[in-house]
Amino acid sequence: MDRVIEVENLTKIFGEKLIAVNNLNFSVERGTTYGFLGPNGAGKTTTIRLLLGLIRPSAGEVRVFGEQMTPSASGLRRRIGYLPTNPRFPPKMTPITYLDFVGRLFRLGGEERKNRLSALIRAVGLLGDSAREIGSFSTGMLTRLGLAAALMNDPELLILDEPTSGLDPSGRKSTLDLIAELGKEKTILVSSHILGDIDRICSSVGVISQGKSIFSGTIKEIKKSVSSHVVRLELEGDVEKFCGALKGAKWVVGFERWGDFAVDVEFDRGMPMADAVRAAADLVSSLGLDLISVTSSSSSIEDAFMGLLRDEESRGFLRAT
Amino acid sequence: MLSWGCFGMKNRVDSSGQPDRRVGLGPFWAIVQADLRSLFRNRITYGWLLVAIFIQVVRTLGSQTTTDLSAVVSSGLGDFIYIWALVIIGLAASSVSSEAGELADSVMSKSVTRVDYVLAKFASRITYTLVVFSIVTAVLVGMGLKLEAGDYNGLGLASAILLVALALVMLTTLGVGFSIAMPNTVMAIVTLLVLWYSMTALFPAIGLGFLSPGSLLGMLPNVIKGTWSQEGWETVGGFATVSIVSAVLSSAYFYLKDI
Repeated sequence: MDRVIEVENLTKIFGEKLIAVNNLNFSVERGTTYGFLGPNGAGKTTTIRLLLGLIRPSAGEVRVFGEQMTPSASGLRRRIGYLPTNPRFPPKMTPITYLDFVGRLFRLGGEERKNRLSALIRAVGLLGDSAREIGSFSTGMLTRLGLAAALMNDPELLILDEPTSGLDPSGRKSTLDLIAELGKEKTILVSSHILGDIDRICSSVGVISQGKSIFSGTIKEIKKSVSSHVVRLELEGDVEKFCGALKGAKWVVGFERWGDFAVDVEFDRGMPMADAVRAAADLVSSLGLDLISVTSSSSSIEDAFMGLLRDEESRGFLRAT
Repeated sequence: MLSWGCFGMKNRVDSSGQPDRRVGLGPFWAIVQADLRSLFRNRITYGWLLVAIFIQVVRTLGSQTTTDLSAVVSSGLGDFIYIWALVIIGLAASSVSSEAGELADSVMSKSVTRVDYVLAKFASRITYTLVVFSIVTAVLVGMGLKLEAGDYNGLGLASAILLVALALVMLTTLGVGFSIAMPNTVMAIVTLLVLWYSMTALFPAIGLGFLSPGSLLGMLPNVIKGTWSQEGWETVGGFATVSIVSAVLSSAYFYLKDI
């Protein structure tokens, strides 16, 4: 597969004071939706600005579509759609005038601009507000307008910086649905610190912490890397009796009760997960309890992410000592 | 509610990988037009035009029987150097710095080069200043000519107007330049205010009269009467040089800076 984005040894130091990006390496392959994860202040937005040529790297390089990205690479930016986090637009413009302006920045012809902006305004649900000044828009409306602007040039690569930031649950869901739909035909890089969003829409993921890449791979790989063999069982019936039975089970390393009806059970690592779950289900059944749900707590990307950050922190400490 | 089904887009990409059918006037004109539209819809513009025209009407009507055309026009043009320079400084020195947040989001992340953007800003702000100047000056000269005092020369009158226009171009160029160089809008405005009024009042005292808009105003009555001196050429050269150097240096800085 060819690579749409290649980042090699990328470093950005602001004013010889702040190392925002530190020797970063990653690549995004064509047709993938790549999640760019990191806590606040990790350097995600700085990296995105470097990808767009808005700022210059202190060292290393960024290649987009195989060409080096620079501030004057307007031809490359013509093939990119960008949604900034909490986007800011000219407050006196309306969605129609703004999208028309964006179309002209991309050198689209008049008829094409009109067709595209009207379809996009409808697609992002701003038809009723298309004549209102942008200055009066809510955060959710600004994000939707930003998405429309990012799609105005029908880009091959979409870069979305925290696209669900500030959205209500309904807006968040519809935005994620839209990104998932767009992911079928475009290469997308989504930056976020909302892990559930990344889990839902991305096929690959990169994790950045303090400007440094600490993981790059598939969602499956990141989850597997911190697999802890813990399963949460939600039960109906005598949970005390179940906990008592767990104490005598050889395949159980430990357990912890959560509330009235949930128990986290940690299995022996030598035992295949499927066998462990089957054994737990048999035990529940033999005690006359009913199983409401089974979830693998180690399968959540939150755990994986926190595990990676913890590992990186301890490695950093060891490096320092 | 977002729905994507109604907008089935496909990338139209030719064999070289470049999108096709990209036409139109380009980013430069798009930015110029958007900036001019925003400026001319601004209440400041309406207020400025109304007050400036009112002052010129009062000035010409009030001096109908006592003053010559050269004096009336010189005094009217002087308003731009002493009073309306404040408005020009405010608008020019905030042209780039006030857009700092939305600049990257809404403009520079698109298919725009830094040269496109910075040239468009210079072009739009200079055009705006000259359009307002032309409207107010047309009222001033139109009404002044009714005085029929006869102490003017057509070419001299045009030269005087162009000299003041050049001074305003210099002021606008400096304003946009300061706006590029200083991320803080207030700082850019204050610095330019200090510089402009120093040029106007102090430069003649230190032998830099050819760079002083104040000295220019002293020359205007004679220029309007048709007397052109060597000092006039020095002023033209000085103003043009400052404008060009300011535009080149600030463009180079904008090209290199992080947005």
